[in-house]
Amino acid sequence: MAERPEDLNLPNAVITRIIKEALPDGVNISKEARSAISRAASVFVLYATSCANNFAMKGKRKTLNASDVLSAMEEMEFQRFVTPLKEALEAYRREQKGKKEASEQKKKDKDKKTDSEEQDKSRDEDNDEDEERLEEEEHNEEEEVDN
Amino acid sequence: MAAVAPGSGASREEEGTGGDAATPQPPAPTSAPGACLSRLPLARVKALVKADPDVTLAGQEAIFILARAVELFVETIAKDAYCCAQQGKRKTLQRRDLDNAIEAADEFAFLEGQQR
Repeated sequence: MAERPEDLNLPNAVITRIIKEALPDGVNISKEARSAISRAASVFVLYATSCANNFAMKGKRKTLNASDVLSAMEEMEFQRFVTPLKEALEAYRREQKGKKEASEQKKKDKDKKTDSEEQDKSRDEDNDEDEERLEEEEHNEEEEVDN
Repeated sequence: MAAVAPGSGASREEEGTGGDAATPQPPAPTSAPGACLSRLPLARVKALVKADPDVTLAGQEAIFILARAVELFVETIAKDAYCCAQQGKRKTLQRRDLDNAIEAADEFAFLEGQQR
């Protein structure tokens, strides 16, 4: 079943929340108007994508990047979006950097654990089965506490 | 053991309970890195971007910026439509307020003809 691009709507709940936060308290929006805005938002994405893609192709790139999107905003006469978008991009990059460092740290911890596990396994093979199980359970409990 | 960020988890729960969407919404991915900075699910935005046959690939930053731009767009058009509603001394935004807002602004020209 092929879906038309216009059918790919963004979640109504999120659209409604954005609208309500943009408007003063006590202001409502009809269902028709809300779905019209939702569809407009989808069209906006498609149009912005097309513009951004033109910039990417001009730069002989196959991957859309952030600067392509920013250039598209200017071309679409949404220059007023450019500054807040640049700020958001910087915040996003900082967050990404923080997450990358955190995941690298996790990876290091994981490597240390697997090393200690291998050492325990070689010891267990020499002992009785019962003793093996007891030791493994204790070790697992320790692991859970660490996690 | 899967580590789940508490912040993004809470926001996803709110999405599920709010709104009266006719179609059941798929669970939004909690692994979206910009979850704190963007309310729109990046996966949906990416799906729209990929709907363009000329687009090969789109970077994560580009998707995030687009999502943020859509939020700004929705805010802008809602506020413009509200101005039209205020002129009619109404407190509920109607479809015609939106149409008027679109006609009034040059940058919304790409929307003309889409609503009907």
